[in-house]
Amino acid sequence: MSLLGPADVVRLPSWVVLRFDPVRRRHVLLAPERVLFPCPTTVTILQRLGEGRRLADLAAELAREFDAPAGEILEDVIALLEELACGCLLEVRRCGHDAAAERVA
Amino acid sequence: MTQPPNGSPESIEPPMGLLAELTHRCPLQCPYCSNPLELVRRERELETADWSRVFAEAAELGVLQLHLSGGEPALRPDLETLVARAAAVGLYTNLITSAVGLDADRLARLRDAGLHHVQISFQDVTPEGVELIGRAPGALSKKIALARAAVELGLPWTLNAVLHRHNLDRVERFLELALELGAHRIELANVQYYGWGFVNRAALMPTRAQLDRFRAVLERAVRELRGRLAIDYVIPDYYARYPKPCMSGWGRSVMVVAPDGTVMPCHAAWVIPGLTFPRVQEQPLRAIWYESAAFNAFRGTGWMREPCRSCPRREEDFGGCRCQAAMLLGDAAATDPACALSPHHEAMVQLAERESTAPPPPFTYRRMGARTTLRQRELAAAGA
Repeated sequence: MSLLGPADVVRLPSWVVLRFDPVRRRHVLLAPERVLFPCPTTVTILQRLGEGRRLADLAAELAREFDAPAGEILEDVIALLEELACGCLLEVRRCGHDAAAERVA
Repeated sequence: MTQPPNGSPESIEPPMGLLAELTHRCPLQCPYCSNPLELVRRERELETADWSRVFAEAAELGVLQLHLSGGEPALRPDLETLVARAAAVGLYTNLITSAVGLDADRLARLRDAGLHHVQISFQDVTPEGVELIGRAPGALSKKIALARAAVELGLPWTLNAVLHRHNLDRVERFLELALELGAHRIELANVQYYGWGFVNRAALMPTRAQLDRFRAVLERAVRELRGRLAIDYVIPDYYARYPKPCMSGWGRSVMVVAPDGTVMPCHAAWVIPGLTFPRVQEQPLRAIWYESAAFNAFRGTGWMREPCRSCPRREEDFGGCRCQAAMLLGDAAATDPACALSPHHEAMVQLAERESTAPPPPFTYRRMGARTTLRQRELAAAGA
């Protein structure tokens, strides 16, 4: 069972830091006692989180931009964010009464 | 990125973490403290300017996470300045504290200076249990107050539970307390037998039955609290089948700076005879990381003998812990006896079983000037 669903609005807490590391020449995600090296796709997603957008809206936006099926993109977005949600590194706001119904398996 | 050659066949990655032991002074006297038996006195501690330079050099070298530890780092009156300097050079800054001597107002100042995370040690879940270990009356209420202050300030905090035979059976209560107090994360760390913990091993070692129960509770908690509480854990490796990948490999990811500026690949590395550790006053951090004999001594796999050398796990656990091999076998290049492939493994397990089932001896509490080096040598000689 996924912790995230299409109707969730997700963002990084203020204390989780996504930044470019000039020494390793790649983005790093820094959290309490954690250093993660997100792939470029995850970085793109993390940079667009928040601003009141549901994950479904974010996926639709990416689908338009990359000319890909929105359903597949949504599954990828949720899968990539799942690890962070499991580690309590995301703030998740459930939106709408249908949040549970829309949850992906 | 170009990296200086050092004669090692493995390419050396930049360090990810720096553990800064700002002071060895501490209001607690925990008998499992990982600090050395010869504690550094105040007059030998690095000054604010030294630490600031170390942080800047660390960031330039590639360090991402800074762990401000001790002793009790809050005893440094310049802690706010140090946090600000670390933040200014882009380090993600964790404070590891007992909460004794650190109140909500100062935590707010530290947050404003750029602190990202605070880790609060809980020696136990009852006032008596905390006092038995730390010997500081009233400490539990101070820890709870600081945890509440962290939540109030929007700072994530970790409940750091150090577990042993006297409190391991209360692991559920540690988890409940973390949830009640709004912790972001809990660290269920069984005592590692270094420093004062090595001296007090017989007084701290849990039984195998205690550990089996702990594993069952842990497994359930990890499953049920997924997404609610981040859980990290450390198992006592005397009962392990494979050794821990100590510090993720010698000189591979972490460097430790002691209060007097001595730089080591691990906070226990002082037990290894024959190594000379450089100091930040003498050499830049970059040279220490890439070129010093101490950091290259057990880097990679080239130093290994059998059974490590041909082991398929050699780049997973790096032969285990060099300090443990030195302490228990008198040979830092031997396979860690925590590994089932070590010829000394069975003796280590028997030692743990024997000590854990005998009545616990009284603690030797951690104190400045305690002359226990001889006792440690005796224990090492009587070890596995």
